Amino acid sequence: MIETALLYFFAAASVGSAVAMLLARHPMRVALALVTAMLSLAGIYALLGMHAIAVFQVLIYVGAVMVFMVYVIMLIDTRDRAFARFGKFALPGGIGLVALAFVFGYALAGDEAPAARSRDFGVQAFSEAFLNEYWLYFELVSVLLVAAVVAAIAVVKTAGTRRG
Amino acid sequence: MKLLLIPLLPFAGFVINGLVGRRLGRAFVSVVGCGLPLVSFALALLSFRELSAGGTPLVEVVYTWAAFGGQPFEVAFQFDRLSAVMTLIVTGIGSLIHVYSTGYMKDDPGYGRYFAYLNLFLFFMLLLVLGKSLLVLFTGWEGVGLASYLLIGFWFEDADKARAGKKAFITNRVGDAGFLLGMFLLYQAVGTLDMQAIDAAFASGSPPAVSASLVGILLFIGACGKSAQIPLHVWLPDAMAGPTPVSALIHAATMVTAGVYMTARLSPIYVLAADASHVIATVGAATAFFAATVAIAQNDIKKVLAYSTISQLGFMFVAIGVGAYGVAIFHLYTHAFFKACLFLGAGSVIHAMSGEQDVRKMGGLARRIPVTFVTFAIATAAIAGIPPLAGFFSKDEILWFALGSASGGSPLLFAVMAVTALLTAFYMFRLLWLTFFGAPRMSAEASHHVHESPASMTGVLVVLAVGSAVGGFLSIPHYLEPMFALPALKEGVESLEHPVVYLSVAIALTGLAGAWHVFGDLRRAEALRARFAAVYGVLAAKYYVDELYDALLARPLTWISKKVFLDLGDRALIDGTLDGMARLARRTAGVLARVQTGQLQLYLLLALAGVVGSLWWTSHV
Amino acid sequence: MDKTQLLVVVGGLLFSIGLAGIVVRRNALVMLMCMELMLNGVNLTLVSFAQRTATSEGAVLVFLVFVVAGAEIAIAIPILLLLARARKTLDVQAYAELKG
Repeated sequence: MIETALLYFFAAASVGSAVAMLLARHPMRVALALVTAMLSLAGIYALLGMHAIAVFQVLIYVGAVMVFMVYVIMLIDTRDRAFARFGKFALPGGIGLVALAFVFGYALAGDEAPAARSRDFGVQAFSEAFLNEYWLYFELVSVLLVAAVVAAIAVVKTAGTRRG
Repeated sequence: MKLLLIPLLPFAGFVINGLVGRRLGRAFVSVVGCGLPLVSFALALLSFRELSAGGTPLVEVVYTWAAFGGQPFEVAFQFDRLSAVMTLIVTGIGSLIHVYSTGYMKDDPGYGRYFAYLNLFLFFMLLLVLGKSLLVLFTGWEGVGLASYLLIGFWFEDADKARAGKKAFITNRVGDAGFLLGMFLLYQAVGTLDMQAIDAAFASGSPPAVSASLVGILLFIGACGKSAQIPLHVWLPDAMAGPTPVSALIHAATMVTAGVYMTARLSPIYVLAADASHVIATVGAATAFFAATVAIAQNDIKKVLAYSTISQLGFMFVAIGVGAYGVAIFHLYTHAFFKACLFLGAGSVIHAMSGEQDVRKMGGLARRIPVTFVTFAIATAAIAGIPPLAGFFSKDEILWFALGSASGGSPLLFAVMAVTALLTAFYMFRLLWLTFFGAPRMSAEASHHVHESPASMTGVLVVLAVGSAVGGFLSIPHYLEPMFALPALKEGVESLEHPVVYLSVAIALTGLAGAWHVFGDLRRAEALRARFAAVYGVLAAKYYVDELYDALLARPLTWISKKVFLDLGDRALIDGTLDGMARLARRTAGVLARVQTGQLQLYLLLALAGVVGSLWWTSHV
Repeated sequence: MDKTQLLVVVGGLLFSIGLAGIVVRRNALVMLMCMELMLNGVNLTLVSFAQRTATSEGAVLVFLVFVVAGAEIAIAIPILLLLARARKTLDVQAYAELKG
């Protein structure tokens, strides 16, 4: 009972903060709305019983990605604040949003969900699965991360040399 | 092999002189250019001897061009009596004119080209007269038209002369349309274009199921174009723009007679087609009379002779029209001699006068260029019909059959032809008087340059004059009688035969006397002209036929070409469509290029729209 | 409504809002954050199905999506910063150089 209520609460929170993202002016406020959305999602994951995933959501998304984003927002020139929130495509975008939401709802709501089963999604089970059966993807992901690091350094280096 | 060589040798001359003539010098060109036709003439004589000995026509099948339908289309030559006469005329007089040209064209830079074209003409003309089927004849027909165009426009740097060549070719083509239609009808009716087969089919008791008159008239239209009858005669006077030997060979002796030859060769059709024969006789008579009237008022020596040729061709067609085919060929034969002599004589006069062609500026040349004068006088007497020269015999025969032939002869026809003969004598002697007699009317400088032509020219003139004098004693109609029976006579006209002969002589002498009287003293000529000034004006302007054609045909066609086809069809429609399509493409591209704004958000919006659309479609369809 | 259905609809909504946000907002950084939102929406549907079918592939895939999101942001932000420095503004409409 409480679980259902919490589920609805977190769902509403995520959608509400997403809308707030669209409407806020200052990028910092947008970032904080996004953090709220992510935290709500983490809550939903936890409510579903996937605790490892919930933890990863907070750690990676909120802890790394959004922190990075907030750093950048703080570093940039706030004089940009002068310009408006919305670009030229506000109205068409809005219409598109409504249409897309409607289509999604229509397309997704009617179907039947697959049969329910239960499983343990704890960290141990997760890591065992990851490192036993899906070790290849683990390695590939490591390679991806290395590539990202190299690319980031390359970008920074180019920036550095250009500035002299 | 012999018959094939007769046309092939001049063709070889064309190739040799055309390709290497310029490099190898004038002597080489002369030897090849004159020698090969002379060899052809010799071969023609040999073939003639063989024909006379054997009696049956020689036939040589050279090459089967195509074989479909019933009969194959062959390239074949035949040498019967008619072809023998024509071939001997073409090669004989042709060779003489080639020799004459070596003197006349001596200083022309295009010497090699000239002889090449002249040999090409001989090749095609021989194809025409030796051909066994209408296919070969038509090839020769078109080919002589081409050679005529090339030779009339020989000095093509002069735009007028080039235009004259074009006029000749185009007018010929108009006639050829009729010829082609006639050939198509013949092929459809008889199943073959072989002339022997066609003649046999029409001469047999059961002729093919086609209107002989229609075929006859269509073929005659072709003959009108080639032989310069009304209304397609307009090219011949303009064709005088070519060198004088060309005028002599092509537009007097040979090419223009091709029409007469063709109708004579297909005489069985005309024997059956009374209407077509009447048309031929009428057109021939009208042409003869009309051209003779114009010739009285012309002042260019070559134009007088050109209209005279048209008139004499009219005589020949009158003979064909009344069924006297052999007589037409007889007149063709005598005409070849005296007209070639006249034209070459005119060339000699022009040569002596350093290029002057207007008879009003000549006069008194008789003593200064005696050989030219004597030969010209003999030929003039021949064309006027003074016995016993050649022209008398052939013209008298024509007049006789114009009166007495049961298939078309009538007193009216005879009267028209008699008046035309009178006019012929009159204008020819007028020409003789104005050119050679009286006080000289030329400038002092021209008078200084007057000289007799070289032997290459005068020698030929002498030969032709002799031919004009004695050629009439060779009775061609009699020789051709196995092929062309003389037409039956109307009842009761036999008694008129001798009176007609006397009348012919009287006409000739009257013409001579009249010309002497009027033009002996030029003041009388001027007075006469002043009295009939209006008539004279019309005659001098050739009845305004060229202007009529220009107004009726040339200008409307040019207008249509410019306004309808060029402005409307080509520029507005075709160019407009293409430009319009290009403009449409550009505008569409311009509109479509608005998508590429460079703004990322637009692209994403479009992606969003695409996603919405595809989701909608997949979930709702 | 069934749990999974609700969560899937919510995921779709988040995705749509994120996509609309990219189209609508003018600030480049905000656009990036909307992209993150999209990714989260997709992740949500993935998680709900993974939980429902209770396979280990689902969880692993979710983890992979996390990693990819992280790598992506690590590159995207420096690029964006360079762009902003070159153009002196974060306004995406100033980046419209590839006009047609």
